[in-house]
Amino acid sequence: MLAALVISHLVIVSHQVDAGGGNSLLERSAFRLFAPVQRSVAAVLRSVEAAWSGYVGLRGVRHENARLLARARALELELEQTRSLAEEAGRLRELLALKAALPFETLPAEVLSRDGVPWFRGITIDKGDVDGVRLQAPVISPSGVVGRVVKLGGRAARVQLLLDRDAGIGALIERTRVTGVCAGQVGFEDQGTTDLVMRYVPALAEVAVGDRVLSSGLDRIYPKGLVVGRVRAVGPPSGLFREVIVTPTARFDQLEQVLVMRLPSENLTLTESVR
Amino acid sequence: MRWPLTAAALLAALALQTALTLVLPRESRLFDPFLLVVVYCGLAFGETHGMLSGAAAGWIQDLQFGGAVSGLQALTKLLVGFVVGAVATRFLIAAAITRFLVVFAATLLDALVFQRFALVFDVATSDVAATGLVARATLNALLGSLLFQAVDARLRREARP
Repeated sequence: MLAALVISHLVIVSHQVDAGGGNSLLERSAFRLFAPVQRSVAAVLRSVEAAWSGYVGLRGVRHENARLLARARALELELEQTRSLAEEAGRLRELLALKAALPFETLPAEVLSRDGVPWFRGITIDKGDVDGVRLQAPVISPSGVVGRVVKLGGRAARVQLLLDRDAGIGALIERTRVTGVCAGQVGFEDQGTTDLVMRYVPALAEVAVGDRVLSSGLDRIYPKGLVVGRVRAVGPPSGLFREVIVTPTARFDQLEQVLVMRLPSENLTLTESVR
Repeated sequence: MRWPLTAAALLAALALQTALTLVLPRESRLFDPFLLVVVYCGLAFGETHGMLSGAAAGWIQDLQFGGAVSGLQALTKLLVGFVVGAVATRFLIAAAITRFLVVFAATLLDALVFQRFALVFDVATSDVAATGLVARATLNALLGSLLFQAVDARLRREARP
């Protein structure tokens, strides 16, 4: 039985590796089955958060003797809530502005869960194939490119972040139009490793610290012209190429809402006004 | 009754891991509730149950928290469940300290086997620093041994006439 199970898993994994990943009926069904659990947990967490805030506020009000203190606390709480609402409104406004500025159709989505395992960097979003999301769809945020969809369910999808070691994006230096490939190099602990590494940059190419890095569109996944990050360091030449360290502009640890592109990105180019 | 309990435990692990990724994203990488379910199944019910629950747990992790290629964590946890079950049928593993050591070793085995498979199938994964791995194993072992004692105590209470 062990041998049969091991062999069947090896066949399943090999099949995906050969096909460059994929989304079988089994995977889709299983993803569809479990995504509601994550959706429910996220909803429950938000309700608990709201109920807890209310409880803390009420406790202060109950004691008449500490009325002023309670009032101050309630006001502080209110201020925090207002601040949080304002931040959320700001994020949504940015997202809306980006959505309106983009020359292609996008779909706003909420983050349901994050990494969960140390090996990969990804997020689960609350939109799936029922909403029109497709495999390999680029996911972006107002601050920059986030990643691509690698698994699809009916009402949820798994997004591989640019930070993931298995991720990659065709990139170019905006100033000098030098192209390369940006990939994640994150380690088990994020500290100091959230930068991307841009490979295959010609050793003689002109690259300077602070240069803006954009998507090149050559990977046929991401449209040309999206902001990826800024050059943080330029490595020494090694043979024909050199490595360039790029700090991504997307704030991966603060992602709450993202935009998913719905149409194929081939032949799409973003202009400077959109950036 | 084993399978409904295992399914419920796996769903609870999924809910817990999802909540942790939202509340404590960085720390959630140091804790693997699915592994605890697999180890407990192996310890309590033997190698076949450990192996099958390992495959189920791994598939859930692959689909909900994995990368582009699915099945690697399923294959890894299948083997971990089998090994823990095989060890449990040959040795008496009842004391909290021995269970601590089993979960600690299972976490290390899980990480090493997973990385081997990732290498074989050419799937790039994050590097695991030794300190991070030891922290993960220690946290899993601590919480696991406490949880196992609590589950056993409850099962014993329910079994009493």
